[in-house]
Amino acid sequence: MPSSVHSQDNDQSMVDAQPQHQEQTEQEEEVIELEEKRIVVLPGASETAASFQFEGEGHTLGNALRYAIMKNPDVEFCGYTIPHPSESKMNLRIQTYDTTTAVEALEKGLDTLMDLCDVVTDKFTTARDGFNASQMES
Amino acid sequence: MSREAYQVPSLGGGNAFSNDNLGASSLDGPLVAYLCGECNARVSLKRGDQIRCKECGHRVLYKERTKRMVQFEAR
Amino acid sequence: MAPLVPSHEELERRRIVDINAETVANIPSTDFPGHWPGESHEWSLERFRDGFRIEFHQNKQFESSFSLIGLDAAIANAFRRIVVAEVPTLAIETVYVHNNTSVIQDEVLAQRLGLIPLKGSVEGLNWMRWFKKPTDDDPNSGSNLSDFNTVVLRLDVECTKNPNASRDEEDPRKLYKNAHVYAKDMVFHPVGRQEQYFTGEGAIQPVNPDILVAKLRPGQKLEMEMHCLKGIGADHAKFSPVATASYRLMPDIKILRPIIGEDAKKFAKCFPKGVIGLEPITAEDARQDSEYQGHSGELKAVVRDPFNDTVSRECLRHEEFQGKVKLGRLRDHFIFNIESTGQFDSDVLFLESVKVLKLKCARWKRGLTDLMR
Repeated sequence: MPSSVHSQDNDQSMVDAQPQHQEQTEQEEEVIELEEKRIVVLPGASETAASFQFEGEGHTLGNALRYAIMKNPDVEFCGYTIPHPSESKMNLRIQTYDTTTAVEALEKGLDTLMDLCDVVTDKFTTARDGFNASQMES
Repeated sequence: MSREAYQVPSLGGGNAFSNDNLGASSLDGPLVAYLCGECNARVSLKRGDQIRCKECGHRVLYKERTKRMVQFEAR
Repeated sequence: MAPLVPSHEELERRRIVDINAETVANIPSTDFPGHWPGESHEWSLERFRDGFRIEFHQNKQFESSFSLIGLDAAIANAFRRIVVAEVPTLAIETVYVHNNTSVIQDEVLAQRLGLIPLKGSVEGLNWMRWFKKPTDDDPNSGSNLSDFNTVVLRLDVECTKNPNASRDEEDPRKLYKNAHVYAKDMVFHPVGRQEQYFTGEGAIQPVNPDILVAKLRPGQKLEMEMHCLKGIGADHAKFSPVATASYRLMPDIKILRPIIGEDAKKFAKCFPKGVIGLEPITAEDARQDSEYQGHSGELKAVVRDPFNDTVSRECLRHEEFQGKVKLGRLRDHFIFNIESTGQFDSDVLFLESVKVLKLKCARWKRGLTDLMR
């Protein structure tokens, strides 16, 4: 639905923004960066078996994280689900053996993924630069 | 002109399609600009005026687009 | 007890997803601890680094193709999904129509404008922040319009008659001025620090200047202001930085028993050009395989380049090839193809996706520390 707005209102807000730039910028940027994501532990959790709810995540992180956590031999079970497609929530279930805890396994999984990303970036840039150089020659 | 300022025209002024001039009532009332459907000329009319383009005599006139800014989401 | 190490042949067998005439088999990954008794499969960064390879096939500005070899589908798919839906770009989000007397309706025009891919300096784009929209509950909760979250474009065009046009001219583009409105008619109005970030080549502009936006006739006019925001493809496809980003698994063709002579020619025809080659049977072949005996000098089918195969399974429909060929795909060989819409170079897009995934993990890890405390 289009909504009518007086053009003046708009111009004013743009004009207003300019003089305040400096102070306002600092604050605004802080606010956006600080907006932290919270993991919710679903009811019924124990040390070694817990379900975590990730707000605003989907299959992208869900499946990748599931893979990373399943690669941990101390983990007995790991799986993820998106309980309802119209809610952007992802539930991750972790059950571990007594050698570790669910939270530790989750942290290790995130570390695994981050390490993996570094390797992929490294190899990708090397491969690309090599390819570009070989293209230049021929 | 805001929506609230709009007033229903009184019926006393006579039918706008009638060509017979009732005289006095056509003197007051605001000027409204229209565009000719044929030659695109601007035609200013007030209540009781004959609906006719002053340039070409065409009898179909269009209202001008609102001057108001309208906001849309590009989605 | 040291973990069992499977043989090379066994590992190669596990790599292959079987493709049969009507079914696929051996689909899920099995490289997890506990799946194969006695084997380790624990995550090891060193082992991953040793096994992981990238090969480039093509690297043009707007299209690149490369293979990621030696990683799981869960990871490859995350990268693909991020490129499509989570790498941010700039797009027109709100249109303020001051005047539009063209035949195209305001809302239709606004939607068309939104879909025009924009480009600008990448540095400037990274400097820009999200514009937080006000929620329905609290209309004052959104961010203020600022140079670091909104880019202003204007489109002011009026069509007029061209006095210099010849009498019998029929092309409206010559008969009138501004009969066609193109994406290049949008003018960037930098505000504040945008003048430093988006200068020269890095100015905000449409990637394709010749996109037709609207058609006008003399007397018709467009007058509008557009606000562009940074957004992600998950929110609206206009923010997606790619036309397509997809991967396919490397096809695998194994000829189990010799295919000779006319059969070999027919076999080659079951595949795209260059996938199957024909080679003369040598005396050496005949000595090694009894089925080649007496066929010296005839042609045999060999697998030359499975990369181009479409895995149409045509060869599985013919009686004469029954049991002689096995089709499959390599589970850990992803052939990516990324087509950029223009804001980023296509290879940079992939790197951006890796960055986004890492950032995601880092952010959730920070959220986790609250939990641990």
